[in-house]
Amino acid sequence: MDYFEVFGLPRVLGLDLRGLEKTFHELSRRYHPDYFSTAPASEKTQAVRMTALLNDAYRTLRHPIRRVEYLLSLYGLKSDGSKVPQSLLMEVFEINEQLDEVKAGRASIEEIDSLRAQIKQKRERFDAELQQESLAWDDMVKGGAAEGKQKDQLAKLAEILSESSYIRNLENELENPGSRNH
Amino acid sequence: MPKIVGIDLGTTNSLVAITEDGTPRVIPGSDGSMLVPSVIYFDEAGQLVVGNAAKEKMVERPKNTIFSIKRFMGKGIEDVREDLPLLPFEVSPESEHIIRLKIFGRDYTPPELSAIILRELKRNAEAALGEEIQNAVITVPAYFNDAQRQATKDAGRIAGLDVLRIVNEPTAASLAYGLDKRNQGTIAVYDFGGGTFDISILKLSEGIFEVLSTSGDTHLGGDDIDEALIRLILRELGDAGAAPSSSPSARLLAAVRNAVNKAKEDLSASDNADILVPSLQYKRTITRAEFNSLIEPIIERTLKPCRQALQDAGLKPNEIDEIVMVGGSTRIPLVRQRVQELFGRVPHTELNPDEVVALGAAVQADILAGGKRDMLLLDVTPLSLGIETMGGVMSKIIPRNSTIPASATEMFTTFIDGQTNVKIHVLQGERELVKDSRSLAQFDLKDIPPMSAGMPRIEVKFLIDADGILSVSAQEQRTGKYQSIEVKPTYGLTDEQVEQMILESFEYAEADIEARLVIEARNEAETVLNATVKGVADEQYANLTDEEKAEITAASKNLREAMKTSNHPAIREAIERLSSSTMRLAELIMNAAISKALKDKRVREIEND
Repeated sequence: MDYFEVFGLPRVLGLDLRGLEKTFHELSRRYHPDYFSTAPASEKTQAVRMTALLNDAYRTLRHPIRRVEYLLSLYGLKSDGSKVPQSLLMEVFEINEQLDEVKAGRASIEEIDSLRAQIKQKRERFDAELQQESLAWDDMVKGGAAEGKQKDQLAKLAEILSESSYIRNLENELENPGSRNH
Repeated sequence: MPKIVGIDLGTTNSLVAITEDGTPRVIPGSDGSMLVPSVIYFDEAGQLVVGNAAKEKMVERPKNTIFSIKRFMGKGIEDVREDLPLLPFEVSPESEHIIRLKIFGRDYTPPELSAIILRELKRNAEAALGEEIQNAVITVPAYFNDAQRQATKDAGRIAGLDVLRIVNEPTAASLAYGLDKRNQGTIAVYDFGGGTFDISILKLSEGIFEVLSTSGDTHLGGDDIDEALIRLILRELGDAGAAPSSSPSARLLAAVRNAVNKAKEDLSASDNADILVPSLQYKRTITRAEFNSLIEPIIERTLKPCRQALQDAGLKPNEIDEIVMVGGSTRIPLVRQRVQELFGRVPHTELNPDEVVALGAAVQADILAGGKRDMLLLDVTPLSLGIETMGGVMSKIIPRNSTIPASATEMFTTFIDGQTNVKIHVLQGERELVKDSRSLAQFDLKDIPPMSAGMPRIEVKFLIDADGILSVSAQEQRTGKYQSIEVKPTYGLTDEQVEQMILESFEYAEADIEARLVIEARNEAETVLNATVKGVADEQYANLTDEEKAEITAASKNLREAMKTSNHPAIREAIERLSSSTMRLAELIMNAAISKALKDKRVREIEND
């Protein structure tokens, strides 16, 4: 059973978070192990597993990025935030140089602020694009688009997600220098 | 329905509480006191005294009067090296992964010592309620890691208690405050106790208490304040040539500890207090201003986790509707002041901060007993769970602040042709590198069918249960075979050791415990067999392969045979075999049940439209 099925949802990306929370609470009230503490061991185990699945699903689906990552994983696709996005090759080179200056402690506060704003702007551009392509995906699912078309759309989503994760990593690095995981 | 008690097993004091007719209350001890000091006195004859009577021996007999055991739970010697010079205890040389205190030549682990306190609480409850108590909910600091939680559960088992749930202290406190009368809102629980500090941020919505984030420090509490004062006094004594400050005697330390503790408590009510150590003819007055500047850095250390928890919850300080103060250290005026400044709101202090956690544990016990169905607590895991990957890097698989129960599935394979073993190292913490993380356990995936390197696909499922404790199961994908897993906890007792301790505990003779283990195993076998019969009758059974069906039949027969003997390890083994053979069936039934529940729900919603 996949996470969308847990919530009785089609595999769409535009989710109503309040509705999701409401269903989460309802299903929690039904399956939480607290209500099975005096039940036989097997039912207890089942309640724990069911609730774990529910919690995993809620944790993943309520988060906009994890939700896309999860959808992609259902089709065997992965986003890769360590690859430099093709469309940003030149700009990223420059950003990385500036980031090195920051890390070496040679950048002024103004320079850091300007770098931060620059990265943020890029991320917002990708986020907007991700949102737009997510809606396009939802339309395909609801409209029953051909499998080939859906595949292409997923590949597009994977690429945008990789790009936005790359930018997000840069953002993290600027906020917590030295935290990058290589 | 047997009664379930709620227990606050504290660093300084412990309490037991019960909910009757919907109202929780603390059960006093035989001396009438609600708080049982978490102190144990051992005498030469092997007699034990727990609580107030033991506390009185602290100054006179420091070496065999044990206190603050909670600080040692789930820890190795390296974790507490800094504290030891100020503690009068003798530590056994075999304390690398589990601290062992030597008392009259015998080694005691922290779970065994905690069990002594739990047994006292159990007796108090039994005397007051007039029946045997076997079931309990025990609270732990929210920031306790897996080993510390497991150690607490082990303590319960050694004390002869079935620990139905480990509950986080701040969350328990929020239940006791009756904030559910408020329909919606956000709550911050600031829990500053004797040895630990926790902050939890909760969201309340129609009886559901959902923890959004938690943070803390399991080694930060009133004890640190005492120690700051002790260091001050020792320095002054050293300057005056009255006593050596570098290696004070156990008796001197105990006398100073006693004196500063009293002064600390006095300072919550008045502007200055006397520190008196009669045996040294030492007397000095300390003003609240002096005290405040001494403890300021300690309080500051509690504010950092508060900011972290707020950030993790995605909230600003002024978005918190209610702040609840828990733990004896929140009586200190400067603590209240700092918390009020941080959140810009006056915190709740109506309930006794020493009792509120135990009362909350009793509320949770009542929920478990089926008494209250309108309230539900959804708690989180405080630390990220990860596994060691190439290059000593920790790869996170369940992030901190995930609602529990939570699970994660990872695929493993082999690197050498014919390899039949894979080692997995499980860790907890937020750092990138294995060496900076807390080692939780090592697992060996064994009996992997020999294949070419990279061919086996072993799916390992990590499950954190509602107690915040990890369990692991594994399945080879090609053969569908469940793998045996041998768990070696890094900082903890094995099941065998716990059983041995139950055997050695004072209450049971060996024959009793053997008999009990056989009965327990048979009962569980009965339950598993019944569940199997139910499962086989389910329509999902048809979806199993012939092989799977045959294994269920064989495993059931095997278990029935084992039950005829009194060999409880063999019964346990047979239970294991049957449980793993029915695992896929259970999963199919569970998935079908969820689908059905969802369908019902949708039908209802349509009807309501």
